[in-house]
Amino acid sequence: MGNQNIRDEVNKILSSSTDTTVTVLSSLLLVQDEIGYIPNEAVEEIGSFLKTSINEVWGVATFYTNFRFTPPCANVLEVCWGPTCHLKGAPDLISGVLKQLNLEEEGDSQDKGISVRYNTCLGACQQAPVISVNHALRGNVKAFEISNIIDFVADSNS
Amino acid sequence: MVVKDTKVKLKIDGIEVEADPGQNVLQAALDAGLYIPYLCYYPGMKSFGACRMCLVKVEQPGPDGVMKPLPGAPASCTTPVAEGMVVTTNLKETKDLRKGIMELLISEHPHGCLTCHRIDLCGPSDICLRHVSVNDRCVTCPKNERCELKDTVRYMEMDLDTPLTYNNRNLPLEVKDPLWDMDMNLCIVCGRCVRVCSEIRGDNALTFTSRSGRSLIGTSNGVSLMESGCEFCGACIDVCPTGALVEKDFKWDKPSKIVKSICPHCPVGCELKMEVDKKNRLIRTVGNLEGPANKGQLCFRGKFGLNFVNNKNRITKPLIRVEGELVETTFKDAVIFVSENLKKFSGKQFAALSSPTSTNEDAYVLQKFSRLIMGSNNIDVSSNIASEITDQIYKMTGVPGASGSIWDLENSNSILIVSSNLTEKQNVLGVPIKKAVGNGSKLVVIDQRETEMTRFAEKWLRPKYGTELHLIAGIIKVILDEVLDNHKFIEQYTAGIKDLKKSLWNFDIINVSNLSGVSAEDIRDAARILGNNYPMGILYALELLPPDLRTECTKALVNLSLITGSMGKGLPGIFPLFDGANEQGVKDVGCTTNFLPGYKAIPDEYNINHFQELWDSNLNNTVGVPLTKMKQKISSGEIKALITIGENSTLLNGNDLGIKESLEQLEFLVATDHSNNEVTALADVVFPAAVFSEKSGTFTNIEKRVQLLRPGMIPKDEVVEDWYILSQIAKSMGSTRFEYKSSEDIFTDISNDASVYSDFSYELLDSQGVVWNPNSWSELFSDLEDQKSINKEDILLKFEPINFVGEIASLTTEEFPYLLVQGRVLFDEEISGVELENGRYQSQENPVFDFNSEDASKLGIVEGQKIEIVSQKFRFNGVVGLKSNQQGVVSHKSMFGDLINQLQISKNFQVSKKTDLNLIPIRIEKV
Repeated sequence: MGNQNIRDEVNKILSSSTDTTVTVLSSLLLVQDEIGYIPNEAVEEIGSFLKTSINEVWGVATFYTNFRFTPPCANVLEVCWGPTCHLKGAPDLISGVLKQLNLEEEGDSQDKGISVRYNTCLGACQQAPVISVNHALRGNVKAFEISNIIDFVADSNS
Repeated sequence: MVVKDTKVKLKIDGIEVEADPGQNVLQAALDAGLYIPYLCYYPGMKSFGACRMCLVKVEQPGPDGVMKPLPGAPASCTTPVAEGMVVTTNLKETKDLRKGIMELLISEHPHGCLTCHRIDLCGPSDICLRHVSVNDRCVTCPKNERCELKDTVRYMEMDLDTPLTYNNRNLPLEVKDPLWDMDMNLCIVCGRCVRVCSEIRGDNALTFTSRSGRSLIGTSNGVSLMESGCEFCGACIDVCPTGALVEKDFKWDKPSKIVKSICPHCPVGCELKMEVDKKNRLIRTVGNLEGPANKGQLCFRGKFGLNFVNNKNRITKPLIRVEGELVETTFKDAVIFVSENLKKFSGKQFAALSSPTSTNEDAYVLQKFSRLIMGSNNIDVSSNIASEITDQIYKMTGVPGASGSIWDLENSNSILIVSSNLTEKQNVLGVPIKKAVGNGSKLVVIDQRETEMTRFAEKWLRPKYGTELHLIAGIIKVILDEVLDNHKFIEQYTAGIKDLKKSLWNFDIINVSNLSGVSAEDIRDAARILGNNYPMGILYALELLPPDLRTECTKALVNLSLITGSMGKGLPGIFPLFDGANEQGVKDVGCTTNFLPGYKAIPDEYNINHFQELWDSNLNNTVGVPLTKMKQKISSGEIKALITIGENSTLLNGNDLGIKESLEQLEFLVATDHSNNEVTALADVVFPAAVFSEKSGTFTNIEKRVQLLRPGMIPKDEVVEDWYILSQIAKSMGSTRFEYKSSEDIFTDISNDASVYSDFSYELLDSQGVVWNPNSWSELFSDLEDQKSINKEDILLKFEPINFVGEIASLTTEEFPYLLVQGRVLFDEEISGVELENGRYQSQENPVFDFNSEDASKLGIVEGQKIEIVSQKFRFNGVVGLKSNQQGVVSHKSMFGDLINQLQISKNFQVSKKTDLNLIPIRIEKV
């Protein structure tokens, strides 16, 4: 059962792999790179592609927090909570983002416009605290800027 | 396999212990009778090192010979033994460490059962006095008082007077799947269930979900077990140390006794521990790890399908027919009634049928009764519908059955399965096969149907109906042509290779290919796989083949096994897959038309004289009427009286022998049975018979292993064992040769009479079942080991030329021109579908019927179109698919979960319940 189009797409992605060793993990990464998430059909197709069970694939996929199982929102907002950013005020940014989007923890906003993710390090510690909006970094972010940034992102979407 | 004799010597807690190299410290300690607490380790599985309960202190001599401690406290389950190692398990330091870890473990597990101060005060029927909050009470755990975690904590003597605060996961219970309940609040994530499912069963139906502190057990995206590839073997339940995984039936019941016995469902002969409660009910079965045939594994039938013994409608009183009605009577009167009536018949007029669940003792007494008192050799087993598959092996090798033992399959490098559905019929045989495949063995499957084993196959050949013989002969031809045969073996131990070669002289692979629809390249590939990967195991049921083809096919398969030299000690050899649990044993003790006990053939003057002397009586020296011809002989009035014992419903089971109709024509029918069925409804006398869990006796399994059944339940009212009924009738008819007081008496007689059992006694079998092989074979095996050439005249292994049976009558007719091929698989993402109804998962029937595209265009149907499938017996609505690769064949797959679902709804897991996947001629109607 499930969506045949997704199945076809997943199979295309899997067979296009140029990796020398194809594993469950490499296949999951490929699918997430291409589709942006791991649909249920992909778990099944990876299972049959690699002659292993769906449960095995699911076990690997759920082990890594990086994999998501629902389509991502149009925009991704990542907040760095690495040690440097933490010291330079990331907790305020996080609570600001969550409050603005009415969330309890990282996840998708209710209107599915913005996905919020915590990131362990965005690699720009000298500009801490850092956030990334759709993979574009912004350094030295102040807590009061958050609402503007989110409004801007939300507007650009609509 | 390399066997090293050298043992490693080490010291555990000051005790000298000898261990095999490669063993770990925990195994060595357990083998030596020392206990180290453990939770994630399980005998027979690889070490995991997750629970850290088995921490020890280890000192080991370094290269310079100086003792050095291993750093920290290593887990004994992951530390391999080494010469001179000194292990200390009970230092206060390590004990404290373990206690600390255990505290962390149970900080996520309800533990009112450990901390409540009334633990030792509460009696079994006491009301809980509310010392513990409601959902933590010991009585709310299904594993209460039989919990491994609790036992371990108690062993560790932890100070738990003050309850620890614990984190309740508050997860909902999973009770939607059939047969199986899951409570993830009790899970300690030891991973035994996940590992047994992947490592031992090869199914991977469970997995760890998520990671670290949130990690639990589950299926992919939480789907039903019916969709996750589960075969419902219950292995996960058996290994679970807590109440997280439990059986649905008798979930809360505790056994009052545990008795070892043998499963009556199939010929694998799994040893199981029967748990019987105070009310004399069989509440649970657990595979016995020491069981030599199953090594602790069971299947859906052995784990969940034995509830029929508790059936309230069992026959408990003898019944005799008075004026057309069956009325209750006393045992004595029934015996007298039978003996009076049987006196009217003799010789050919009488026939006896034992059942596949009769013990060797029952069967022996039955054949003795028939031969000695009635003078008749019309004796057979009621499941013996394809005796061809074993008879031919006997002729060619001198072994009346399988030549190898089950776990030798694990060491085979190639395996051939022909037309068998062993996942459903001889399930546990699949365990060593899957393991072998996992270790790189190559599997070839010849079957029209898609079954669980085809998923593991390197090569899956789907010949047209009736062309299997040609296909197998083609494989032999290729092996001979490409010189992949084992010349040395053929030269030294076999005879008749020239005859075989002659019979294949002008045999052409291209013809075979045209005939069978399998490409020549596939045939060659399969032959190369089998020829190049020695040793090869062969398993075959030939259930889809017409009877005339079975003999020749068996011949071909034995030839194939011999040319690769795969028969012998420790080699996988060849397995005829019959259905009955004790079919092998019943034949061993003489329940056949042409053999006296111990395969003494008749007609034969010497054999008959021997038994006449032994039994001090005149015996009939002619071959009797086998089951397959009984209908005819009953209809023609030659057979007038019949005794059928044990599980009579097998008689009616899916075989079209028409016996049932002919039973009505009998003048006198005696049946012993545990429940009412169509046979007992026709009988003149019905005796209440004991079921396997009430019997003491022996079963002989497919590998010819004689194993002991022990009674766990006490028979009700007048329920007795079949041998007792028969010997009472015999006595009442004036014989003095049936003075049996126990089944052990009978076994003494069996080992006297049947030479193949001569070395056995209950005493010997009590410790473990033993395999028998003909004496001549033991000699052959020892010769094989010594690499000596054996005397040409003593050669037992004979090739036989293959005779190609003429035209095979087609199954299809003008009215039903297509052949429906039914498959059943554990997992298929495209056809699985499950819906929730009344809180239970119900599987959806898969409506897709796959056609060959040419057939489809001929019929004018397109993919997705609705059609109706019509056979003589049924009509189905379906949807057209186009995945069948053969013309004239419509294939349909269903899920194993469907089967479980159906079985659970109908509660019909009875021994006789067969779930055949037959070929059915059909026609297509457009809707």
